Amino acid sequence: MKIVVCIKQVPEVTNVQVNPETGTLVREGVQSILNPFCEYTLDHAVRIAREDGNTEITAITMGPSQAKDALLRSLELGADQGILVTDRKFAGADTWATALTLATAIRHAVPDYDLILVGKQAIDGDTAQVGPELAEILGLPQVTYGVEVSLSSSRRHVHVRREIEHGYEVIEAALPALVTVSKGEVVRRAPSFQDLMLSRRKTIRILSAKELNIPEEETGLKGSFTQVVKVFPPQNRKRCHMIQGADAENAALEILAFLKERRFLP
Amino acid sequence: MHEISSQPALPVDFGIVKCIEGYERIKAEYPAYLTDESKISSLPFDYLFFPKNEAELAVVIREMSRRKVRITVAGARTGLVGGCVPQEGALVSLEYLDKVEAVHYDPFAGEWRVRAQSNVSLKTLDGMLKFKQFPMLEQSEKPDVRDEVQRFKEEPDAYFYPPDPTEMSASLGGSVVTNASGARTYRYGPTRAWVRGIRVFLADGEYMDIPRGKYFASPAGWFVLYNSKGEARSFQIPDYSIPKTKSTTGIFTAPQMDLVDLFIGSEGIFGIVTRVDVALLKREDKLSIIQFLDSDKRAIQLTGALRSDQRLQLDFLEFYSKNALDLLRERQKAEPSTVGMPSIPAEAKSALFFELSFNPRDESLDYHALEETVTGCGASLKNSWVGYESRELERFKIFRHLLPETINGILAERKKSSPGLHKLGTDLAVPDEYLLEMWNLYHDLCEASRLEWVAFGHIGNNHIHVNILPRDMDDLHKALDIYEKFAQRAVELGGAVSAEHGIGRIKGKFLKLMYNPDQVMQMKKIKETLDPLGLLNPGVIFPS
Repeated sequence: MKIVVCIKQVPEVTNVQVNPETGTLVREGVQSILNPFCEYTLDHAVRIAREDGNTEITAITMGPSQAKDALLRSLELGADQGILVTDRKFAGADTWATALTLATAIRHAVPDYDLILVGKQAIDGDTAQVGPELAEILGLPQVTYGVEVSLSSSRRHVHVRREIEHGYEVIEAALPALVTVSKGEVVRRAPSFQDLMLSRRKTIRILSAKELNIPEEETGLKGSFTQVVKVFPPQNRKRCHMIQGADAENAALEILAFLKERRFLP
Repeated sequence: MHEISSQPALPVDFGIVKCIEGYERIKAEYPAYLTDESKISSLPFDYLFFPKNEAELAVVIREMSRRKVRITVAGARTGLVGGCVPQEGALVSLEYLDKVEAVHYDPFAGEWRVRAQSNVSLKTLDGMLKFKQFPMLEQSEKPDVRDEVQRFKEEPDAYFYPPDPTEMSASLGGSVVTNASGARTYRYGPTRAWVRGIRVFLADGEYMDIPRGKYFASPAGWFVLYNSKGEARSFQIPDYSIPKTKSTTGIFTAPQMDLVDLFIGSEGIFGIVTRVDVALLKREDKLSIIQFLDSDKRAIQLTGALRSDQRLQLDFLEFYSKNALDLLRERQKAEPSTVGMPSIPAEAKSALFFELSFNPRDESLDYHALEETVTGCGASLKNSWVGYESRELERFKIFRHLLPETINGILAERKKSSPGLHKLGTDLAVPDEYLLEMWNLYHDLCEASRLEWVAFGHIGNNHIHVNILPRDMDDLHKALDIYEKFAQRAVELGGAVSAEHGIGRIKGKFLKLMYNPDQVMQMKKIKETLDPLGLLNPGVIFPS
């Protein structure tokens, strides 16, 4: 069984501050981390590997050279090897160009994969598009928002419990397949010191645009259908109407009228 | 130089100071000011002041002195011994003194420093340093202040303020007057080691600026203070020796000591600290490790080994006893998501938590020394958790705090049926060589008394917090009894009865375990010289 886990390095957004004057992100002191959804994904991969035995987990990412740190973290968390797809030509890639590059790298480096696991989204862009696009490019069945992932006894299918609006559904897909993973009940793993030391003995393979033989016009900014024009915080659309000067009874009547008018109450 | 002069603050009208008068009104509108983290209750008091600046503070002190009204001073009210809980008179909250005034480089010491008013919280300071964001200073009217901030921002390194007394909402000034310590004291020492100067208001309303390294006791141990009218007061520093362990028991003293050290850790009985200068240190990447072990005694053995291995430089060294892990396991079963860590391994019967410098990009990690030390104590690196991303370090830290939080939750529940109950947490430290002996005493007496108890905390400094969770009043009395036995033994072994919490208003009797009446009198004489009316923080250190 070969599992590919696509991962991404992201800024630790809980610590990001926005300069109120320029509206730009304050970068000082902000660490880059492995996207939390990728950690949950690795958790599923490791669990499958433990149950299945003969399984190899490959973590793959597209990014600048420092994205290697996220691969190191993936190796600590249980991946057996890492692949860094890096080239200046990949800079500025949107989700489509990223998915295309990753698909090419997977075909090149792990052509006999059985299962691709992807975090449902990255916490920096929140698009949730790369996983589904990757499945489309590779022509795979895809299951999104998975919270439990397991193999059938025949090892020919993957069973995924996925989040839907008001509950869950369980979907079976024939392998090879792609699953995007939500947080679910996963408590993030904490590797042991031994895991940390062993991870430094695992290999990280570097792949460039040339090795992948991707046409330049299909990568990076040139291969992107979309561009980020501006980043800005969304306007607060919540409106609050304060009821002034009314006594409690009148205030309650006013709230009741409001709720009826908006049809929150019959 | 052992002579120093104080000076008056700018005169302002007493009437402009925000003041809430009358206990009933304070109780109804400002209930948070009736207690602090010790959870002891205030007695009725008459005034609650909120001075907006030092001049307002000075006029409050002068006016209260004129009326002979005693003053309790409150910072962030995070202390555990009731130092901010008034028993009479007035409470002065320093919460408006919350500005960072400068970031500056001291070329002689070769270090960056921060000057801040006393009520800047440690959390605020840490955030400002981490992100190098000082909005007020960047817009300062003083060009030299703006220039220094700019220089600091351009520094390639990041900096931090090393004292980490767990409760990061604590105020900087509060941490200075209590000489706060915590886990990182293991490597960096207590707050005292990082204070480079203070401004302190005395009981007559005048203030002194005391930089470290300028005013020292005379060879005979004297300081002479002159007020702005030229009137002199002198006092002699105590001649007792203080324990070599962590200690916040009573007044610090040392031959020819620096005057700044008299005020650090004095719990505000000599003066009100309004401004502090503290040193910063370069921030390094860290690795947190929780190493599980098969018994508490193994943890003590590994503590000794880690401490004596010169190849390893740990930032802190903390302990979870077997029964502490059991308590956390129960919490994990009940609320896995609030614990936020994987299941504690079933075979773990104790744990040590420590941190060391770490470069995650180093591909050839050489942790041979650590491996050798850990395995040499019969433990395996397989049975550990590690983390180095900042959110991981935070997660480990939260896990550490979860234990006292869980204990407080259990006691709060028990108090509903037995309101007199409270937890009993030790704060004793002993010299290195007596760690095992002290642990055996804790263990044996708690077990023999059939008490419910857990132990955790700063084992690297031989400063384990034994927390007893009484189930009823009978348990509580047993616990109080054995607490005294623990404290007595710690003193006999050359330790401290209060290693980090201070004496405040609730541990006065323990002061007498460590110091004889003559030594206590030496402390009181300084108090009488600096504050003849006993105006400041009555009942603190010396019970009323």
